[in-house]
Order: sequence, then C-alpha cells, then structure tokens
Amino acid sequence: MSVRRDGDLIRLEGACPVEEAETLAALLLARPGTAVEWSGCTGLHTAVVQVLVRLRPPLRGVCGDPFAARWLAPLLDVPDLS
Amino acid sequence: MTDDAPPPAALPLPDDLVAEFVAEARELVEAAAGDLLALDGSPDAGVVNRVFRAVHTLKGSAALFDWPAMLALLHAAEDGLAAARAGTVAAGPDLVDLSLAALDAVARWTEAIAATGALPPGAEAESARLAALYRTLLTPASGAAPDANPAGPAPDWAAALLADLGERPAGTLTALRYVPRADCFFSGDDPLGLVRRLRGLLALRLDPANPWPPLETLDVFACNLAVTLLTTDERPEVEAVFRLVPDQVTIATIATPAAPVETAPGPAPEMAVAPSRTLRVDAGRIDALVALADDLAAARADLGEVVARAGSGAGLVDLLPALRASDERIGRLSAELHREAMGLRLQPLARVFRRFPRALRDIARRLGKEVTLTLEGEETEIDRDVAEGLFEPLLHLLRNAVDHGIEPPAARETAGKPPAGRIVVGAESRADRVVVSVTDDGRGLDPALLRRRAAERGLMAPDALAALDEAGAIDLIFTPGFSTAASVGAVSGRGVGMDAVRAAVARLGGTCTVESRAGAGTAIRLSLPRARSLVRLLLVEVGPERYGLPMDAVVELARIPRARIRDLAPGAATVLRDRTVPVLHLADLLDLPRGPDGPRGGRSSEARLAVVRAGDERVAIEVDRFAGRADGLVRPLPALAAWPGLAGTTLSGDGRVLLVLDPEALVGREPGEGEARP
Repeated sequence: MSVRRDGDLIRLEGACPVEEAETLAALLLARPGTAVEWSGCTGLHTAVVQVLVRLRPPLRGVCGDPFAARWLAPLLDVPDLS
Repeated sequence: MTDDAPPPAALPLPDDLVAEFVAEARELVEAAAGDLLALDGSPDAGVVNRVFRAVHTLKGSAALFDWPAMLALLHAAEDGLAAARAGTVAAGPDLVDLSLAALDAVARWTEAIAATGALPPGAEAESARLAALYRTLLTPASGAAPDANPAGPAPDWAAALLADLGERPAGTLTALRYVPRADCFFSGDDPLGLVRRLRGLLALRLDPANPWPPLETLDVFACNLAVTLLTTDERPEVEAVFRLVPDQVTIATIATPAAPVETAPGPAPEMAVAPSRTLRVDAGRIDALVALADDLAAARADLGEVVARAGSGAGLVDLLPALRASDERIGRLSAELHREAMGLRLQPLARVFRRFPRALRDIARRLGKEVTLTLEGEETEIDRDVAEGLFEPLLHLLRNAVDHGIEPPAARETAGKPPAGRIVVGAESRADRVVVSVTDDGRGLDPALLRRRAAERGLMAPDALAALDEAGAIDLIFTPGFSTAASVGAVSGRGVGMDAVRAAVARLGGTCTVESRAGAGTAIRLSLPRARSLVRLLLVEVGPERYGLPMDAVVELARIPRARIRDLAPGAATVLRDRTVPVLHLADLLDLPRGPDGPRGGRSSEARLAVVRAGDERVAIEVDRFAGRADGLVRPLPALAAWPGLAGTTLSGDGRVLLVLDPEALVGREPGEGEARP
C-alpha cells in the first residue's frame, strides 16, 4: 500500500504511482488539514505531487525520495505557490 | 615504430593491452572504493589523495583507448576529487556516494570491456549523468563569483529563478520551461520524472499552468502544472531528456559571466607509483624456484646432521669443515634463490612503451604538431613496479617534448629541420641499471630564459642564479614551482611539473638528468634500478633507535672533535677535506629527542658523522653511534605510513624491522615540515 491513513496521518510509502493521486486526494478531501507523512516514500508520480501542490497538506518527515526532499519539499513548504 | 597514420582510426590495440587495462582497473577500482568507504565518516587528506591518484592513474590508462564515456566520467571524478584535495569541496558523503557510483560504473564497464572489448550500451548516458552530478557538486564551491548579473539574455520566464539563485556557477546555464499537456498522465508521462533526470538541476519552480479550478471539480488526472528550471546540464543533454515532449518545452541557454572554475593550482599531484598486487609469471620460472627451494631444504637437512653431531659431543674442530661446507652451500643457494625470485619481477619495457604511440598521436594532434615517435630497446627488462611507475613520468616527458620542445612545422622548416618533429623513447641496460631516455629534436632549452623565469618566480636569489653554469641553469626545470603548465589536459596536464617527474623517478630508486642544446633538442635520461636488489646499509643509532642508511648515499664516515663543529648563521657546520659541510643531527631530522646525554655540550667530545650526498651537496648527519653494516631488501612503506625521509623497511639479521632512511629527502627538509608545498 503506498497511500494509507494511519491514525491522524496519511502515510506515503514506497513508490507512489499515478493512480495513487486519486486515493490521496480522496483522503485529504475527506479530512482537510490531515498531515501527510512521507519519509517512507521512495518516489512520487507528478500526479501525486500535483495533489500535494493543490491541496497543500502539512508535510511530516523528510521525504525518502532524495529528489523530492531536495527539490519539492521547499516548494510545498511555502504557504502559497502562486 | 612510427606514428604517422593521419586518419583518426584507432590503432590496432593488442588484446593484452586491454587485458592489462582490465587488470589494472580492477585493482584500482577496488582499492579506491575501499578508501572511499573508509573516508565516509572521517575525512582524511591522505585517503582523498590516494583515491585521487587511483582515479588519475585510471584516467591516464583509459585515455589510451577509444572509450570517451569512460574517459569523460573519470575526468569528472578527477575534477571532483581534485577539488576535495584542494579543500574547495567537502570530502563528505555526497562526494563519497557519487564517487562510489562512478567507480561502480567504471567497474561494470571494465567487465564489459573484458567480455566484449567495448563499453556496454548506455555507458554514454550514465557517464553524462554522473559527470553532471560531479559538476553540480563542484558548482556551489567553485562558483564563488560575486557577479550576479547575467551576461547573456535570460528569457522573462527564467528571470525570477535566476534572481533567486544565490550563487551562480560560471559558464552557461540551461533554462527550461515545460508545460505538460493536460492529458499527459494518460499517455504515461511523468513530467517530474523527466526533470529528475537532469543532474545539474540548480533551481526548480512548479506553478499552476492555468488558474486552479475549484476543488469541487478537482481532476487529479488532468495535469495543470508548469515546470520552470535552471540546470548546469548542457543544452543537448537537456534536449535529450525532453526529446519526447519537444512541443511542450522551451529551452534557453543563458550565458553567465565566466569565472575561474579552477582554483589556484594545489600542491603538485604526486605521480603515483601504483603498488602491484598481481604478477603474471612464466611457469618455467616457478619450476626453477621450486627446485631451488628443494635444494635449500636438502642443504638445511645436512646442517641439521652437523648440529646433531655437535649435540652428541663432537668437537668444534671436527665439525668446522662440515659447517663451512654447509654455510657455503646455503649461501650459494640463497643468493640463487634471490636472483630467481627477483627475475620473476622483471618484464620487458615494451609493455610500457607500446602504450605511447597512441598517446603521443593524441597529444600531437591536440597541440597541432607533427611528430614521429621511435621506440628503442623495448626488450630491455626491468622490475615490474619500476616499469609501471615509469608510465606516468614518461608520458609527462613526452607531453612536454611535444608541447615545449617540438616547434610548429613552419618554424621547423625555417630552422632547416624536417617539418615533423622526432621523439625517441629508448632504453638500454647499463650494469645493474636501466637508462630510459626521452629525446627530441626540438628547440631545446634556453638557459637564459630558464634563469629569467626562475628569477620571476623567485625560486632563487638573483646572484645565485647568475652564478649557475649552463648545466645548472638547465637543471632549474626540476625546481619545485618552476613548471608553468597550468592547463588541465585530458592526458596529463594539471600542473604536474618536472619536479614531480624527478620525485616519481626518485621513488622508483632512480635519478633524472637533462641535457639540452638550444635549437638542437633536449634529452632527458632516467637511470633506474633494474631490479629491487639487496641494499648495503650502514646501521646508525640515535638513543635507543637504530636506522639503516643506504651505503650508496654515504660518501664517508668521520669522527671529529666536537670543537671542530661551528655554529654558523644557518646552523652547525664543519670543514671536511677542505669543504664546508653542514652538520645536522639525525635526532633533529627525525623529530626525536636528543640522546640521554643532553644538549650538545654534555655529549662525548667526538662527533660521529655520516657524510651523505644530497643532490650536489654534501651533508654530514651526526649520529650517536655507528652500529655496523647489513644487507637488506628494502620494502617501500605503505602510503599511510609514508614519512618524508624514510625510504622503507628491511628485516635485520635478528628479525627486527629496521627503518631505512632516505638521506636526500631527510636533509632536504627542515624537521617538522609537512609534505605541503606552495
């Protein structure tokens, strides 16, 4: 399972392929403001990134995917992207 | 043989040359990877230096073949490690990981070469990727250019990113704007997956391509992102990554002010004398060794009988003839065994020489010169380590000959010479030494020019320079800091001067001399030991410590009244045979405490001096005691234990390890002075 609810968190684990975007969006829309823990994540499809960009959940941990940790985390950390 | 084939087609490379490369590469990669792992966690300049040298050596070897991807990667790795050596980049986990990845690639390619003779498919892309990573690594540190104004036009969409970029690397940047089609996810695209492949990424923005639709109509599978980025990857690399979506990207090349990427040349890279771990041996030689070992065992059994007779009460007089015979026989056999064993290590110089035609042709082409190369005496045999250690110094001499010696074709014709320069690499045996020479018929060295340059560089006081005779002036090229070669070339370059050549040759137990006539050419001769042989040692003691001094460096031994040692301005000196000779105490040279009898005044009234040659000088080394002589096979110290002034170790007769001094290096330095050179 690469996107799952874990108590108060949504965990991204392993590689998160394109179809997980829908799961993630559904979980986030069901409980807006839920934090996403992504330290176990080893890769994100652009579609998944787009959900994070659009819905901007708080992020927990350092992404296990070095590219995302280096380049995407700073973009997702700022309050507004535009 | 000559190298006059004009087309760039590869010269036929003997299979065993490839096999040699494979064997060498395996060793170097393994050693360097081990060093890198040791480096992880505890940065150590010596280890960084070793890894650098391994990569440098590998690059030199790879340059002989037509494997551009391998060469490019090794070149990038060398740049990265050189920066770590110079301290401009941290020898931290980033460098270690990247270098391990690079070595891993080289190891895989080496195995592919061993199997198929060629690089595997995909090597080029991998090489480009890793090389770009090295560039990224070097970027923040080396791009300290304070000038933040772009010299070239940057498109509007890139301006914001460019402005946000704090430190800017020199050279060109590539900017990219990528607006994926809304339905791109359905065609299997992963836009950020492409971005991920840019290894020189410097800055990245993600913006909504169009205003976000309200959440109620959120369509997670419609891409609405616009990617803007800056990278140090060059435009063709960027285009290659995005070649499947050319309609969705805009690429711009942005010129940024050139800034010196290379920092000031660091310490002259040492030319590595790579330690050998494998040796190919003719089976017949092994048989001869086994036979000798059998004879030796039989001789020992005879000696055992004599011992048994002594044990049962036989008188010494009765035993003496048998003991003498036994001693004589064992002595003869051990000498023979030693000779045979040393013979195992000999190999013809052809194995080194035949790498040169291709290398020389590349060098000549790069420098726009015409050169023919003649090899002579390739069959001359020499110790394998010496042969291996000779490659780099000789390659450097060749490069110098082409670069500085051979004139351009037009200038040669004006001087009445054939347009193609002639370089001869030759070897010949002389007694127990081998003389290897590199001779060119170029413009020769101009003593006046050398004097002037030495003066400009402040290498010697003006009056000392003026006092040099012609040969002395020509010898200036060996002075550390003399070399001007600052360019970084694919073959050697990197500011390795003639002093490094002389040092590399000295480490092989050789000497280096130069002869030159202005207008007629230059000959550089390396005199090298044919084999590692037993070295006669003078045993000397300081306090409780005992050391060996190679006898061939010792000119004379003297005991003189202490009163004859005077304290002159630069230090102590005495007059021996009408020459003033500096006197240095071995304890000071080795940073040891002086012996128990305290300062000089309290010592015995006689000083014991071993006068040694150091270059053209004579220097007296004072010791506490002379302790006899010994023969020993001197083994070089492992690199970690290397200490200036120590030549290596040998086993003394009682089985103790004896440190053997290198007098020239010893007296050439002040105590405590490190290896660093300006």
